[in-house]
Amino acid sequence: MTTRTRREVLAGGGALAAAAAIGAGPAFGQAYPARPITLICPWAAGGGTDATARIVAAVLEKELKQPVNVVNRTGGSGVVGHAAIAAAPPDGYTLGIVTVEISMMHWQGLTELKPDSYTPLALMNEDPPGIQVNASSPYKTVKELADAIKASPHGSMKASGTGQGGIWHLALVGWLLAMGLKPDHVRWVPLNGAAPSMQDLAAGGLDLVTCSVPEARAIIEAGKARSLAVMAAERNPAFKDVPTLKEAMGIDYNSGAWRGFTAPKGLNPEIAKQLTAALQRVNQSKEFLDFMAARGFGVKWADAEGFAKFMDEGNKAMGVAMKAAGLAKG
Amino acid sequence: MSNLTQAFHLVLQTDVLLAILLASIYGLVVGSLPGLSATMAVALLVPITFYLSPIAAIATIISASAMAIFSGDIPGALLRIPGTPASAAYTDEAYAMTRKGQPELALGIGLWFSALGGIAGTLSLMLLAPPLADMALNFSTYENFWLAFLGLMCATLVARSSPVKAIASMLLGLLVSCIGIENPAGTPRFTFGVTDLFGGIEVIPALVGVFAVSEVMRAMMSAEPPKMPFRRFGSILKSQWTLTKQYVKPQVRGNIVGIIIGVLPGAGADMAAWVSYSMAKRFSKTPEKFGTGHPEGLIEAGASNNASLASGWVPALLFAIPGDTITAIAIGVLYMKGLNPGPTLFTEQASSMYALYIIFIIANIIMIPLGIIMIRVASRVLRAPRSAIMPVIVLMCAVGTFATGNNLFAVMTVAAFGVIGYVMERNGFPVAAMVLGIIMGTMVEQSLVTSLMKSDGSIIPFFNRPVAAVLAAMTIAALLWPVAAWGWRSMRVATR
Amino acid sequence: MQLSDRVTGLSLVALGGLAAYGGWRLPPFPGQEMGPEVFPMVVGISLALCGAMIAAGVGRSYEDEAEADLARISAEAEADGSTAASHHSKWWELRVLIPPALLLFYYFVVDRLGFLPTAAVIVLIASLALGARARLAIPLAICAPLVVNLIFLKLLRVPLPSGMLPLPWIGLP
Repeated sequence: MTTRTRREVLAGGGALAAAAAIGAGPAFGQAYPARPITLICPWAAGGGTDATARIVAAVLEKELKQPVNVVNRTGGSGVVGHAAIAAAPPDGYTLGIVTVEISMMHWQGLTELKPDSYTPLALMNEDPPGIQVNASSPYKTVKELADAIKASPHGSMKASGTGQGGIWHLALVGWLLAMGLKPDHVRWVPLNGAAPSMQDLAAGGLDLVTCSVPEARAIIEAGKARSLAVMAAERNPAFKDVPTLKEAMGIDYNSGAWRGFTAPKGLNPEIAKQLTAALQRVNQSKEFLDFMAARGFGVKWADAEGFAKFMDEGNKAMGVAMKAAGLAKG
Repeated sequence: MSNLTQAFHLVLQTDVLLAILLASIYGLVVGSLPGLSATMAVALLVPITFYLSPIAAIATIISASAMAIFSGDIPGALLRIPGTPASAAYTDEAYAMTRKGQPELALGIGLWFSALGGIAGTLSLMLLAPPLADMALNFSTYENFWLAFLGLMCATLVARSSPVKAIASMLLGLLVSCIGIENPAGTPRFTFGVTDLFGGIEVIPALVGVFAVSEVMRAMMSAEPPKMPFRRFGSILKSQWTLTKQYVKPQVRGNIVGIIIGVLPGAGADMAAWVSYSMAKRFSKTPEKFGTGHPEGLIEAGASNNASLASGWVPALLFAIPGDTITAIAIGVLYMKGLNPGPTLFTEQASSMYALYIIFIIANIIMIPLGIIMIRVASRVLRAPRSAIMPVIVLMCAVGTFATGNNLFAVMTVAAFGVIGYVMERNGFPVAAMVLGIIMGTMVEQSLVTSLMKSDGSIIPFFNRPVAAVLAAMTIAALLWPVAAWGWRSMRVATR
Repeated sequence: MQLSDRVTGLSLVALGGLAAYGGWRLPPFPGQEMGPEVFPMVVGISLALCGAMIAAGVGRSYEDEAEADLARISAEAEADGSTAASHHSKWWELRVLIPPALLLFYYFVVDRLGFLPTAAVIVLIASLALGARARLAIPLAICAPLVVNLIFLKLLRVPLPSGMLPLPWIGLP
């Protein structure tokens, strides 16, 4: 399929026509930004990405002294919204929040968009996966769980956290590969996200769940599940007792779901610099930090260059994991 | 007790009360517009909750969703265009009442029993949250499969048509739900290379298409029907008390079923209304009256869907597991406002929890006066010329479905399902059964395929887990019931 | 478009067969024994069976019963509709496609033309097609889009495309 559907070209054209109609004067004559900015979120209202987009938009509004409106462009499991960001005019008035899926969907042949289809602005958040088991399970440490996995017959243990080929599935694949096992040694049960997976874990239907610790928090606090480790370089300050994989079993494997801010490709470098600087101030603002702490989301910062490098490395790592798991096309 | 006084203090703030009132009006308006669902009303509120205090934010979500679920009945009863998927189950029944000249009775039932159901649901949330939540945590994919299967069996009961055609319609709905990449493999299925189909066909555009657009299409083919004889719109609440006393059993059953289905993740108000309407029909002494404008089914289903709305908050508040699409959004708002779901919410922030209960009760009480006003305003469409109402409905269908995801593809979906719905209706296929198939499709497939994956292809866990065994027995009993009833009847006839 | 049960039944058999075949042809699912093909195959085969039963006339008696009941309630309206249809040319039947066609019109032009003009055209055509006089249709075509625009923009905060007619004072950029 071609990247841009006819509709997006039309949409882009419509926006351009609108810009021309109200008189392009202020956009060029005055300093950027001269009018409201649209921030496209490829996921539905009420979710974690939507909330992150909205808090950033609220603080960014104060920084740029122009309204920043979040528009949810859903559909196609994120493909439609990500395409809409890439297809918007690169004038600095349409930005987008991009998620880890952008480094995964193209390997599956769902889209031709890749991380380098955008002008990267800033990385704001990353949540590493944890390894959760049922509260009544016999495994007290991640080492015991790993030994049990190694001893178990191929495919007899079951795990979940999201759908097939989702970020938490690849976290499990990466961990299994790091232990020298086959990527499907533990069978992945595709469920509709972290909450249903944690529920199934509590109902006794699964052996482990690899979703982020904040997503598992409520059930852990209810005493129905336990988190054994996080696949991150450092512990999560909100869950100090949960060790990293490296501490617990010496495996240096990190992964995570991230969210960053981008603009369409071809954005004026001056405007890009201005936006990155503003986003850095957002990243350090008390409002943003308080919000992220309340939700248990991990705060991360990388400027445009760092974000581009981060996405590139993540993209390659995803390619390796997805090919190993047989999830990549071609 | 100090928690309770503190809770009243939290609720009796100007901003909270104002939020309840405005969100209620908003919910009533949005729910009554064809093409706009309760879920969407809540989703569109999220940006606004950002600027509110925590209690006011939760109050807007609770009030707007309760009102929208009720007012989804209004266009259903007046124009045969259900406002929300929950109303689709009994739209034909309510519309039949309107045609018999009793629109105020049909809408009054919706209003009165929704409010009572909402209060019953709230009581369950207040008194039974921990045991209900434990019950929800016993539901693995095996139990979900039986539940979804039971839900699908309602298809044959909701429409007055050939059961074979009803099942075929339901299967068509299941087939529609196969489209997209939301399947166990996460691979594109029946998408034909169209990016917009990756996310699948959503329920709302399909619902709007098969009901609203096909209704306008039918209007194109028939002359304007003679105006109903002009008469005063009767009292809305007058006969409700009599009905409450007359139909105690269906009402209580509706409340209980609603509460249970609401608590179970993945089902929610949509399914509650279907199950309750079918149960009312199955256990009724006069099932032949169903579909001709009979109050019994409306009472049970109306009681059920608002009860499920409140009990859906139980797993959301205790475990951050959404009971339906509305609580999925509510969980996001709870986190955003620092009211992190979990058992600590009930202990450390008990006053906030009490405040939440109080808001639920207030919302269900003010639903009655506000609902009456809304019904009176809305019923004017019965007197307006059809050539003025129908064009506006076409417009609302286009804009309303577009609004959820700012995606024009939804408008295309509405048009396509309009044609599908029209052809189906003309040939005696009940479109409501197809909507049921689309609602339940993902849950049926997910629970079936993932269960088989977990059990390595064995069907034993479908029967040997305690809750699953009970549900399996119920399903089999429901399947065998018509056969047994038929056998029983023919035996009695024979002995006579 | 009323078809005989034989035709609808057989088309369902064909659709069910196609769905089952389409499901069967889906690529295998890495690391799993069953995957995306199971459900469409089950549904497709069941649909084909239902279609065959419909074509064979199973369940027809229920329908006659239901139709008789319904006819009792809605005798006049139905009769009106059918007599109106009978004395028109066969092109008249195509009127039924006006509503979906208007929606497609919206899909294709709203971004270029803008919401207000597109909506006005839709309301005008639909209203005239339903037999309204110009005295009703034209004011309606002007007012309804403005009201809908107001509801969506102000109450629901949904941005609608402004296209060729930007009206900043009512919120269109």
